[in-house]
Amino acid sequence: MSAIILRNLVKRYEADMAVHDINLNVEAGEFVVLLGPSGCGKTTTLRMVAGLEDVSEGEIYIGGELANDLAPKDRGIAMVFQNYALYPHMTVRQNMEFALRPLRLDRAEVNRRITETAEILGLDEYLARRPSQLSGGQRQRVAMGRAMVRTPEVFLFDEPLSNLDAKLRTKVRWEIGYLHRRLGMTTLYVTHDQTEAMTLADKIVIMRQGRIEQVGTPEEVFVRPRNTFVATFIGTPAMNLVPAVSADANLHAKDFSLPMPQKFRNHVPEGLEVLIGIRPSNINLADSGPANVFAASVRGIEYLGTDALLDLRVGSEELVAEIPAILRPEVDAQIHVSFDMQSLQLFDAKTGQSLESI
Amino acid sequence: MKYANIALAAAALSVAASGAALGQKQFEGIELKMLGIGDTSVTRLAPLVDEFEELTGAKVQIDQFPYPGLIDKIVIEASADTPSYQLMWVDSPWVGVLGESGALEDLTDLAIRDAEEINLDDIIPIQLQENTWQGRLLAFPASGMIWHQNYRKDLFEHPDEQAAFKAKYGYDLEPATNWEQYIDQAEFFTRTAGEVLAGNVLEKDFHGNAQAYSRVAGAITHDFFPIMRSYGGQYWDSETGLCAMDREPSLRAVDVMKRLVQFNPPDYLGLMWDIRTGYMERGETAVSSYWSVRTVRLTNPEEALVAGIGEVGYAASPTGEDIPQPTMTGALSFGINSKATDDEKEAAWAFIKWGTSREMMRRFAEEGNGVSMFHRSILMDPDLQERYPYYQVLLDTQEHAQRRIFHPFYADVEEVFGVALNKYMAGEADDPQAVLTEACNKINTRLKVFPVELRLRWIADPPAEIFSN
Amino acid sequence: MAYGRTRNRKIFLIFLVPAIAVLFLTTIYPMIYAGYLSFRSYDLAKPFVPRVFVGWANYREILTSSEFMHTLIVTFKLMVITLSVQLVLGVGIGVLTAQRLPGMALVRTLLLIPMMISPVIVGLIWLFLYFPELGYLNYFLSLVSISAVPWITSTTWAIWAIAIADIWQWTPFVMMGTAAAIHSLSPEPYEAAMIDGNSRWQIFWHVTIPQIKPVLISLMFLRAIDAFKLYDIIFVLTKGGPGDATEVLSMFIYRQSFTFWRMGVGAAASFVSLAIVVVLITFFFKSLNRSQERI
Repeated sequence: MSAIILRNLVKRYEADMAVHDINLNVEAGEFVVLLGPSGCGKTTTLRMVAGLEDVSEGEIYIGGELANDLAPKDRGIAMVFQNYALYPHMTVRQNMEFALRPLRLDRAEVNRRITETAEILGLDEYLARRPSQLSGGQRQRVAMGRAMVRTPEVFLFDEPLSNLDAKLRTKVRWEIGYLHRRLGMTTLYVTHDQTEAMTLADKIVIMRQGRIEQVGTPEEVFVRPRNTFVATFIGTPAMNLVPAVSADANLHAKDFSLPMPQKFRNHVPEGLEVLIGIRPSNINLADSGPANVFAASVRGIEYLGTDALLDLRVGSEELVAEIPAILRPEVDAQIHVSFDMQSLQLFDAKTGQSLESI
Repeated sequence: MKYANIALAAAALSVAASGAALGQKQFEGIELKMLGIGDTSVTRLAPLVDEFEELTGAKVQIDQFPYPGLIDKIVIEASADTPSYQLMWVDSPWVGVLGESGALEDLTDLAIRDAEEINLDDIIPIQLQENTWQGRLLAFPASGMIWHQNYRKDLFEHPDEQAAFKAKYGYDLEPATNWEQYIDQAEFFTRTAGEVLAGNVLEKDFHGNAQAYSRVAGAITHDFFPIMRSYGGQYWDSETGLCAMDREPSLRAVDVMKRLVQFNPPDYLGLMWDIRTGYMERGETAVSSYWSVRTVRLTNPEEALVAGIGEVGYAASPTGEDIPQPTMTGALSFGINSKATDDEKEAAWAFIKWGTSREMMRRFAEEGNGVSMFHRSILMDPDLQERYPYYQVLLDTQEHAQRRIFHPFYADVEEVFGVALNKYMAGEADDPQAVLTEACNKINTRLKVFPVELRLRWIADPPAEIFSN
Repeated sequence: MAYGRTRNRKIFLIFLVPAIAVLFLTTIYPMIYAGYLSFRSYDLAKPFVPRVFVGWANYREILTSSEFMHTLIVTFKLMVITLSVQLVLGVGIGVLTAQRLPGMALVRTLLLIPMMISPVIVGLIWLFLYFPELGYLNYFLSLVSISAVPWITSTTWAIWAIAIADIWQWTPFVMMGTAAAIHSLSPEPYEAAMIDGNSRWQIFWHVTIPQIKPVLISLMFLRAIDAFKLYDIIFVLTKGGPGDATEVLSMFIYRQSFTFWRMGVGAAASFVSLAIVVVLITFFFKSLNRSQERI
């Protein structure tokens, strides 16, 4: 398996910068997800790695070799496309055969690989079918199969699940995860869906407007988002951000105050305008009375089965809370909430950067 | 009865024409259209139609079309109930089909009545006979035609060429009297670029001969039939009225044309009348036989380059050996649509008389426009003969001339033989007898459905009744 | 519901009637009349030839005539030549012009010009080029010391001369169809094939061609029908000659109808020609269905 290194990678379309100065290491066998909203440059980055787009500046190394000027076929990669990119006039078997053609393998080897791949993907019984006779999920498996038969060093996925319905998406996601664990191939995976990123990635690369916002394991980006973009992009529902000012080791929001959490106490200067990041799951129902418990009114409730989302007002602040459904109050109820102080995040209100010391 | 009006009109016209002022013009308000050809028999007259309107009040519009396809337009016009053309240009071979269909107005009585005015006695009889069907005159000649040979007089008279010819063929270089000589001359004058011709080094190939070999509108038959006739051939069997164009004279004519191929331009299969005559007009061939209606261009430097670079000589058509002069005639004529109204017919006849009159013809000749004349007195005029050296040939050769084909199935003959002969000349068929017989069979299949009496009537050529008065 | 439907049907009729009337007057009635004529002897030029019912005689004459068979052979020969060259050239140029390069739209438009010219004018243009002795083509050949080619006056060249003119006019049609079909294809399979390492030629042959095949079949079908009716260019250039080298079916029908004026035979020949076209259509739809089943 090959590692991928992107160094100062830039993609320019005429005057527009699509990708700014990307630096990224993908270890051999690692599953890295490029995550971001549409237009963030993630697909462009992937296509540059694939060789489908020219590199404007910077270098791409695949397996230690400078790949900038290598033809796609010489990069030892395979790619799975959003809309499968199957050859509509060929059967499943022929699709795989066509992918193997340039390798000039002997007949027996071709058959062995196709049989093996079909088995792994559960496509055995569909080998003689054409893509039009398959479901979306099956088609995507064929697309993966076509990539797999070539036993490439690197797998590139371009939003492979976007065209599938929600149920299938989960299933195929599992399958991709399973395949990666089983085959251990280096994988670069583009998606705008954080669930895919969280569930599949060894490492998530969060991108916005052509730049990397944060690189980290799923846990790192969830627990220690480097800035408010990452903080609100990762996690559903999004993190609540409450404006506040630090003073006297406290955080003063408009209508309530919190003690400054321990980990920020030493390096957040007095008078700094900050944003308090509170994940909805870190807001708990509480009895009235003790310190750091706040009165809240319930404006709305979304029942999700296990959990419920509450649309709260604490003073004039709007907060979304996620609580066990069984505990949910009535709409318009006056309740009390507390925050899980250990999980609070603080961001500089001006720069949006996390105030957590690294 | 019908002609009473016309007679009156004619009288009025002659008064008007003689210059006596008459209160109003006879044909005021009448509009005539002619379905015509874009060739000398029409182009000379077309610019003058305003004069006719001046004279008579009748407006005449002449639409000019190329020869190929013209008969199609005339046939469609003839089959229409309300015609848009009152005047029709008629090539004499069409007289059969148009006559048998009743498409043309019978001009016999008019011609007899106005014999003096139209100088009937001065017109070469065969040119009138050409326009008859079953003895009745259906069209009036606007241009006479004979088929004859044109040769490069300047080349024929060049001493080097004469000596070389004599040395090679053993007789003098003079206009051919038979086809063997014609072929010799064609061969003799065929030179490639770089060779010398009459003392000059040639810049491009020079072709000894140019004949029509194209199948388009049967062009090849227009050269083939005269040669066939010059061998004594006939179109039809006089007993059965069926095709006789596959006999010995036809075979010999085919042979002549086939042997001439190698001395013709490389595009010989595409040579139509005008393309073929173009070679003579541009001075690019030595001998070329064709209809005099195109010959008349050769004396006009504006129409024929050759008038500036050499001199053309004119002679009767060569013949098969020992066969007396059987020159082919034809006539290019004006006829009246039988479906025109009586008023229109009157005006049309007046127009024909005006446009084909001896005065008009003399005027053309004097103004320098060559026309293939058909009035004896014009052809015999010494001054004009001087100017138009071919007049003597036209005059001489019409004495014993034979009429062209005039059968109602002429279009079939022209097309079937056109394709068959063109195919043979192209080398696509080997056996000329088979080619001719197959063509004859095609014609006969169409004729055999008719009784023999009818077939014989169709080939009969009783003398024109205009002559019996 | 029922009310709406009857009303709709009435409106339907109001819109339909004029179209049907035009169709009847311009197509159906003439066709019926031609069918009637094809069983009759009818000489337009010679009213004195009996105009009578002749049964199948006209058809028998055509189908047993070597001349007609010859025109069929020439027609198919021309069809095979023009269609195959138009297919190869049209697809080739179509692929080139389908590239999204600057200025390609203009190139495509320019290439379409021959198609927009009336066939008679196309014939005349090529007549100037082919004209014996005086034609431009031979003039240009003479500049490079190639001796004159008897383009339209040789039995071997004439059919090619006509084919070239037709190819010149109609290759853009195939080109346009091909370019449009290629534009409608999604780009991903190409990228997948590129990544897999297939050569451009293999991609073209195994990915592009099979996907645009239904379009190509349609284009070829339309061209085949046109080739079957090819007339104008031949009429201007050779009129079927030299000899009978370029005598196609339409020329045969024309000659029977408007040279010999045997309208009955001409009508019968038209119907035979129609029958052949119908067979062609059937064959086409079958093969189209087959090729679409596979997608």
